[in-house]
Amino acid sequence: MGVIKVPLPPQDTNVFQAAWGYITTILKGLFVTKMILVKQLFKLEKTETIEWPEEPADYGPRFKGKHFLTKRDDGNVRCTACFLCATACPADCIYIEAGEHKSKTIEKYPVRFEIDILRCVFCGFCEEACPVDAIRLGPEYIMLPADGTKWVYTKEYLVARTNLNGGIQSIKDEEEKHPEVTSLTHESKHHRSLVKHGKH
Amino acid sequence: MGTVETKEEVTFKLNGIDVTVPKGTTVMAAAKREKVAIPHFCWHPGLSVAGVCRFCMVKVKGRPKLEISCNLEATPGMEVDTVSDEVKDSHKWALEFHLANHPLDCPICDQAGECGLQKYYMSVGKYNSQMTEEKVLKPKALDVGDKLVLDTERCILCSRCVRFENEVTKTGGLGIFDRGDRAIIGTYGDEKITHNYQENLVDICPVGAFTSKEFRFKQRVWFLKEKSSICPGCSTGCAVSIHAKPEMETYFRVKPRYDKKVNGHWMCDKGREILSGLDKKERLENSYLQDQDEFSTCERPDMINHLNSLLSRFRGKKISLLVSAQYTNEEYERLFSFFVEKMGVRSIFQWRSKEEKLNDFDGILLRGDRNPNTRGLLDALRKFHILKEVENEFEACLTSSSDLIFAFSPLLSSSFSSFEEDLARLSKLKSCVCLFTTSYQARDYIGFNSLIPLVSFPEKTGHYTNYKGEKRELEGAYPSFIHEGFDVCELVNELDSNIKASLRA
Repeated sequence: MGVIKVPLPPQDTNVFQAAWGYITTILKGLFVTKMILVKQLFKLEKTETIEWPEEPADYGPRFKGKHFLTKRDDGNVRCTACFLCATACPADCIYIEAGEHKSKTIEKYPVRFEIDILRCVFCGFCEEACPVDAIRLGPEYIMLPADGTKWVYTKEYLVARTNLNGGIQSIKDEEEKHPEVTSLTHESKHHRSLVKHGKH
Repeated sequence: MGTVETKEEVTFKLNGIDVTVPKGTTVMAAAKREKVAIPHFCWHPGLSVAGVCRFCMVKVKGRPKLEISCNLEATPGMEVDTVSDEVKDSHKWALEFHLANHPLDCPICDQAGECGLQKYYMSVGKYNSQMTEEKVLKPKALDVGDKLVLDTERCILCSRCVRFENEVTKTGGLGIFDRGDRAIIGTYGDEKITHNYQENLVDICPVGAFTSKEFRFKQRVWFLKEKSSICPGCSTGCAVSIHAKPEMETYFRVKPRYDKKVNGHWMCDKGREILSGLDKKERLENSYLQDQDEFSTCERPDMINHLNSLLSRFRGKKISLLVSAQYTNEEYERLFSFFVEKMGVRSIFQWRSKEEKLNDFDGILLRGDRNPNTRGLLDALRKFHILKEVENEFEACLTSSSDLIFAFSPLLSSSFSSFEEDLARLSKLKSCVCLFTTSYQARDYIGFNSLIPLVSFPEKTGHYTNYKGEKRELEGAYPSFIHEGFDVCELVNELDSNIKASLRA
């Protein structure tokens, strides 16, 4: 850590002596600034400024930006409409309407899943709350929608917008899939779950 | 049953405190009365004792093993302990075995939030499972009735539903099939449950095995608000609670409350349909006024002025009231004290459904009289010296050649099979008809002088008197999302004060 030695406040009442102390300190500081300016003018040092939007900014993979919904391996939305994200959301910006899926192994799925992006505070609680890795906050940070009106992101937009290259697959899919059991006879002993007991 | 009514009493010690209960009371029932929580699944105060869940273990001093409290009769001098480490350990392990084959369905299970397993897992659960066995998979999402979906995997075989079918409805439609860890609840063959008390199975199921088709996936229960009310579906007047999400302006479901003298623990499925006409789009939202060939909306003060001018215009002419039996005692009293005492109206007609069978009774709860307050209406009339019997006087009202009719329509048009027909006939009358209603259907009939929107039963307080004369209160009132809606009492108060002012002038 650099330390700049600043003269003590003048004890006596000599105004000129006190002012001299201040002026020299300011000049020292200005010298440092100007030296950086000169170095950068002659390309002796790299500037940290990014000329966005001409130049893309890179925020790293863990940046919590625009939301997206992941997909199952068959391409359908992974979300089970459990409402845990909507419950955890402090801004109350997630609206879900659940429906009955025609496949009995899925049962519940979101008919509508909408995020009011103007209300969202990007806290990432939805991502934390999700039990099936269905919602994530991605690296996109530009919130401007294509036509400038859609501030409520629909399910279709969250699952498959152009930036997602056709959607991203959830890490929790096949391993937890429940096979359809129609009847329970003694022959059907192979209907044993693959899910091992851990913590309930 | 939990308690037996006798005069003999026994005193025993529950966690070191003396408790006196009638003889024959089980320790579980006594503990419930004393608000000592003993975890349980299979015991239900409205059903017989089964003792199958082995969860409600307690320690009795002097006995070598733990015993289930639901089947343990309290005897004098008994010392029962529900909080020692030994008892807690047994609860922990009992729950662990209940969870052995229970799937992790909570995210998609409607019971989540009011589930017995979740509740007890948090209070007495064993947090680090030692099970290494794989879970048995069972059939899911089975269609077992008009209103029921059965998930056999979530079932913990408490047999409450089987006992309900055997003891309450006496239909015996459910049974436990197979043995051991492959035992499942189910109906016999392809038979479906069709009786009128199906949704009670959803209520008594301590887990999410039975879910209601009506409510399925509509909303998570932790978002719902709950307010006590009375079911207006029939003259039994079951105690219910209405679950709603006020910020969404939607009512979601009706559940029974315990009322010993009226409905016990149950209510019928017909009673759960009372919410069907309460959606915003099915309600009359604005006041409508017939104004020179034009039927248009108007503001609240305009409507009050209009009614006032009508009352003064028809002063001395024949004014009639046509009232259905679906309003509260307070509303009747306010209405009659104004119209009968102040305005001198003597012709009051009851408006009832044409096809009702008054003496029908299904043997459990549902009665043929589909109005909650028939008795209250007659009592209120008697108070103003108008003696009447229960009868449909709609025809009499039509032929009474009244000049002005104030018609208070039924709030539940769903239980009124001839409602639309009656509306059509009423609108064609030559006399001036003001219709007070909640139903949007009234807008379709041209010919009414004015339509006044009312708030409906979940949005008001008051009392209903049921067929036995039991007076019960509608306690909770949700804020009405029909902002222009009138409360009958308030409306009559305003009319009353305006009349007084005009008389003084």
